[in-house]
Amino acid sequence: MEDKALILILVALSLIGVLAVYSVDPLRGEEWGASLFSKQIIWNFVGWLVFLFFSQIDYHQWVKRGWLWYLLMVLSLGAVLVFGKGDETGSRRWLFSQSVQPSEGAKIALALFLAHYFSEQRENFDFWPLLLKSGILSFIPLVLIFEEPDLGSSLVLLVIWLGGLFVCGFSAKKWAVIGGIGVGLLPLSWFFLEDYQKARLLSFIDPGKDPLGSGYHILQSKIAIGAGGFTGQGWLSGTQSQLYFLPARHTDFIFASWCEQLGFLGGMVIIFLLGALSYLFLVIALRSPDLEGKILASLLGISLLFQWAVNIGMNLGVMPVTGIALPFISYGGSSLVANLASAGLVYNISKSGGKESWKLWI
Amino acid sequence: MQEQVNQRITYLSRLFLIILLILSFRFWYLSILQGDWYKQKSEQNRVRVFSLSPIRGSIYDRNSQVLAEDIPRFRLIYEKGGMEVEEIEKRVERILGRELSPPFPERGVGEIILIDPLSLEEAIKIEEAQNDLPGVRVETYPVRHYPRGEPFAHVVGYVGKINAEELESLYSEGYEMEDRIGKVGVEREYESLLRGEKGYRRIEVDALGRVIRVLDYRSPYFKNSVTLTLDGELQEYSYELLGNRNGVIIVGDPYTGELLALVSKPGFDPQLLSWGMTAEEWNTLSQNQDKPLTNRSLQALYPPGSLFKLVIATGALEEGLTDGNRKIFCPGFLDYNGWRYPCWRRGGHGAVSIEEAIAQSCNVTFYTLGLELGADRIINWSGRLGVGRPSGIDLPGEKTAFLPTPEWKKRQLKEMWYPGDTINLSIGQGYLLVTPLEMYRVVSSIATRGEVYQPHVLKEVLDSKGEVIRKVSPVLQDRIELKNSTWETLIRGMEKVVNRGTGQVCRGLPVELAAKTGTAQNPQGEDHSWFAGFFPSSHPQVVFLVLIEHGGDGSGEAAQTAKKLIEWWEENRGGKSGR
Repeated sequence: MEDKALILILVALSLIGVLAVYSVDPLRGEEWGASLFSKQIIWNFVGWLVFLFFSQIDYHQWVKRGWLWYLLMVLSLGAVLVFGKGDETGSRRWLFSQSVQPSEGAKIALALFLAHYFSEQRENFDFWPLLLKSGILSFIPLVLIFEEPDLGSSLVLLVIWLGGLFVCGFSAKKWAVIGGIGVGLLPLSWFFLEDYQKARLLSFIDPGKDPLGSGYHILQSKIAIGAGGFTGQGWLSGTQSQLYFLPARHTDFIFASWCEQLGFLGGMVIIFLLGALSYLFLVIALRSPDLEGKILASLLGISLLFQWAVNIGMNLGVMPVTGIALPFISYGGSSLVANLASAGLVYNISKSGGKESWKLWI
Repeated sequence: MQEQVNQRITYLSRLFLIILLILSFRFWYLSILQGDWYKQKSEQNRVRVFSLSPIRGSIYDRNSQVLAEDIPRFRLIYEKGGMEVEEIEKRVERILGRELSPPFPERGVGEIILIDPLSLEEAIKIEEAQNDLPGVRVETYPVRHYPRGEPFAHVVGYVGKINAEELESLYSEGYEMEDRIGKVGVEREYESLLRGEKGYRRIEVDALGRVIRVLDYRSPYFKNSVTLTLDGELQEYSYELLGNRNGVIIVGDPYTGELLALVSKPGFDPQLLSWGMTAEEWNTLSQNQDKPLTNRSLQALYPPGSLFKLVIATGALEEGLTDGNRKIFCPGFLDYNGWRYPCWRRGGHGAVSIEEAIAQSCNVTFYTLGLELGADRIINWSGRLGVGRPSGIDLPGEKTAFLPTPEWKKRQLKEMWYPGDTINLSIGQGYLLVTPLEMYRVVSSIATRGEVYQPHVLKEVLDSKGEVIRKVSPVLQDRIELKNSTWETLIRGMEKVVNRGTGQVCRGLPVELAAKTGTAQNPQGEDHSWFAGFFPSSHPQVVFLVLIEHGGDGSGEAAQTAKKLIEWWEENRGGKSGR
């Protein structure tokens, strides 16, 4: 039952993603292959092949090799810092000339690794040492991504780690201690932020302060969503996105462009689909017969929820601009393929590994 | 452990639901509750309103000669988009055959100004090559032109870019940055009539300011023009008469208050001020020792000298201190309290009547009458004749006389008022300072025997088609009630000034002239030379005042200038002024 629902939701999200990119594609009149939406269709095609691949391999095969993924993740992230070329924002996020974004893969790799690492410890679950060790291991990729710099993705890794700690049943009291320390240390993190990141946070607190500077994104996004109203201004209409007032309208702010055209109703469809998908991940985690499946599915669910909630929150002006894309919808290959890959993993968990699933050759 | 994990996952799912609800609520709040407000913001984003400068009304003299008007100038605008600026620049350079000078100033909505000003020939060349220059257009805008220049600068004034202070107070009336506004003179006084109505262009733009389309357009138009009372030729002749000397000439009609000439020398070039000058040019102009920006006729203060004797005579006659019969002996000086006060004529005037004293400008007579009147009554009578009160002329920045009183001296100088101060005051010297316009008004009131008309320069207001929509009628401000004999004595005295007194330079003119000379000592140097009067004395039609700074004796420079002025009048306007 869950597996069918999963496929249905994924198909719907993929279609909406292509439509949303099409609606704001400045190159949609160009020939096939040049336009953004045609690229998004190709990425969907690739992504669904990857989904198929992951759905057919017993997830235990992946979890078992947790350390291998961990190693590959750290190496590729290191390679980004060494060999990566800066993009237009000055961040180094890419490998192989802007085609692969290892930080997207890192989200899955860390979830696999933690599922392996925590489930290994099930017999002697010792709180503090485990916290410390898993913390150090999680922070290595996190810091590498932060250095790119990509604040959003490193936050996703942080949430995956914290989610792992939570799911694995750390006691409430100890959670309170960690929470207290976390909140206490939060102001310190200010000193590690780049100037533009600080500006984004400040403008999040008071977007009216500098409406043409960093507050611009948030303000324009709110205007687009508000101007959309209940039913929107109509497909392919809406001056905010069509006249370029809305920045990153096909990536980070694609939700706002969608809502300007299709209004509250159209936006709720996306929220409902993404909410249902992440909820489904948790249901599958609950039904999973073993600990590996439970941890992996719930971590992937947390990662998914965090990404879409922060992205939509940012579009609605209740979250700072952190550069987290909207899963399945935002234009971009790495994110789409990675999200379909993790959905494939969860699909496989929903089938409890599957008797006749393929074996990994490594 | 599995159990615990299951429980935690259940907790998580509740957290998921809560987050979903919060986001949905926020979404609903933005798009439904605040939707209208954001729709408006979105509208403001895409629509830019561009004002188009209004065309200012013209200013004419009484004979409908243009004193100020708007003329079109051209500039070359490029609406960015289409082509690279460098490419457009190259093409324009090729078409016009001259180099452009980047960087080009930006002007809102992604437009840049390539050339400003553009000549008419160049504008035509550009129009012909329109097909090669997408996004380039010639824009016409008005600039102020003052064809008659300097002689009219103080009265007509000039326009300039609105400054921060003006903008703040006039914002509600639709003024914006870069707008033109009258700075001085008629341009300022009648700004609201002359300004005209702005036009606008409402344009849809994208986020980069590129123009998508024009939504709406209204062309600017002008509302009113004004005709002044000034006689342009008289004004120019008067300005010329002053030559290279600083001074004032005022000519007007005593029975209407109309001013035919109001000249202040040195003047300045209003064109330069309107079209913008360099900081250096401005400094030279504003710091010039001769203060060319000051309208001396109503903004500068001078000792009136013997002109003030008309005020003393009025007071003495009205208070009964003298009449046609009383004669005062002038030995050439007055001894008072051990000080000797000289008359201007060393040898003395002998026994003179008040009429004779006015004619000869006998100091001793006026010392005596001044002392009898006392400082307070002198100041009182000055006020009665309008000295120290604003005339209400329709030009900005009018100043009024400084009238010294014993109280003032005690308060300000911590000194008592000596009889010597009264003696000085009696001949218009000492602390007393007046504007030329105030003295003009005193003379004008004598001409009309007490009828005081508000001096003005506005004659008519015209609508946009040139039809007269308002005529300014004379405003009788005050009626000075004096004994008939007082008026008679004053006018007889002033006639004698010309016939056998200090103003004999003007004897022999073909008009009955009544006038008074003034020689004002001043700390700056050579005496100021005054000459004021009216003609014909029996039924006055023209009042005039001439002041020449450091012109020496009033009977000299000023009287000679007045003579030429009257001759010009008789030759050129004589026929017209006959009533």
